[in-house]
Amino acid sequence: MRTPAISIEHLQKAYGALVAVDDLSLEIQRGEFFGLLGPNGAGKTTTINAIVGLVKPTSGRILVNGLDAVRDYRRVHRVVGIAYQELILDGSFLTVREILTYQAGYFGIPARRARAKADELLERFGLWEKRSAKVQELSGGQKRRLVLAKALIHDPEIVILDEPTAGADVEMRLQLWEMLQELNTQGKTILLTTHYLEEAERLCGRVAILHRGRLVSLGTPEQLTRERGQAHLEEVFLELIRSERA
Amino acid sequence: MTGFLTLLQREIVRFLKDAIDTIAPPTISVILFLLIFGVALGSRLGEVYGVPYIQFMMPGLLLLAIVRNAFLNPAYSLFQSRWYGNIADFLVSPLSVEQIALAIILGGVARGMLVGTLVLLAAWLLTGVSVAQPVWALGYAFAVAVAFAGLGCIVGLWTRGWEGVGAIDTFVLDPLVMLGGVFYSVEMVRGVPIIEPLTALNPFTYITEGFRTAILGGAETHVLAGLGLTLALGAICVGAALVLFRVGYHLKA
Repeated sequence: MRTPAISIEHLQKAYGALVAVDDLSLEIQRGEFFGLLGPNGAGKTTTINAIVGLVKPTSGRILVNGLDAVRDYRRVHRVVGIAYQELILDGSFLTVREILTYQAGYFGIPARRARAKADELLERFGLWEKRSAKVQELSGGQKRRLVLAKALIHDPEIVILDEPTAGADVEMRLQLWEMLQELNTQGKTILLTTHYLEEAERLCGRVAILHRGRLVSLGTPEQLTRERGQAHLEEVFLELIRSERA
Repeated sequence: MTGFLTLLQREIVRFLKDAIDTIAPPTISVILFLLIFGVALGSRLGEVYGVPYIQFMMPGLLLLAIVRNAFLNPAYSLFQSRWYGNIADFLVSPLSVEQIALAIILGGVARGMLVGTLVLLAAWLLTGVSVAQPVWALGYAFAVAVAFAGLGCIVGLWTRGWEGVGAIDTFVLDPLVMLGGVFYSVEMVRGVPIIEPLTALNPFTYITEGFRTAILGGAETHVLAGLGLTLALGAICVGAALVLFRVGYHLKA
């Protein structure tokens, strides 16, 4: 059997008395489209930040393609691309095109290839016209596409997206869904966190539902709805969250 | 290496694109000092240690420009990247944390050396001063820039607000440098209460004396003592910055 793309083993993250992630274990196979669901404060962002080393686990470990995310962080970073929920862009002095070419450079891509890769992504994400603009001149939707393009600049095997469609209008959400499905079809492993259960139902092969840092359910959307005798993931989600609260 | 060089390029482009705020003010302020003390008051101030006062003061002003610019660049750049969150761009890349720290520090060194070169050029045009020991002076200036860029890196990590960088600049760096022999030597303030002990106990005084000697000429022991002190300060600051990066201080939750 192939090594899983991401293997989370007994991950624990505490901030003082607050336990953000509590003994979380799960595996994401290569090529999967995996959704991490949960209400605000469930530990979704902490978990994905731990995968890329922005959060230091209190205990437990994460393996990416079999490599330890803390010890082997440089090799892990080569194969992971992450798009944050906050539209973080190095926009104080760089243009849209420069943001992508610099990001490619940090990943060791030489200048000429970096420019070609940046231009290809600018075309693909409908940002070519804005290539010389500053971030402040972009609309919310354009920023979101740029964040996604940035995550893909080094052609990562694993793409992690934190709430990729938060605040997006209907048309853009559909566009982004298409793009993500296309990436998955190309063989990329996708891990996304989302609030939108319809999104998870439509895109994800498997989902994990987190609540207060703990894994409360794991399976395909069909499995979860069938097991709980519900028609939609949303009802399963609400039932699980309410029963956890009780 | 491409990753490291890209980040270093980013650090340099950042201050070059904003030259009106980063390069012009320190260069102009030193030129004004040179005009006032050299051209306007020069004839009334006489000579100090056998050279016109303006020439005596010039190495100190040059050092001050290098110190402040080498310090401010990493401090603001790093804090700005933390503030806006784009520090994550570097942290999730295959760059090692040590490479990130060194690129940011070298960005500061580049700004310090660039402003230093402009100030030296202005001083040469206005006062005709020349550098007695160019190799020593260049090496010395580089070591000073590295040390204070290291300090800037530490402050950029430590501060929780924009005012933190300004506070260190105003309340620590300025008094340290101003009372560190830029405008006078220890001999000139012998017996002056407060000023003499503050100057004599200030390590920056010996860094300035050494640099002045490298520029104006004189006993090599002065240069070596000042350089030794600078290298020790540099080792501490750069070492501390690397350790802070490695533990993820204010970088990782």
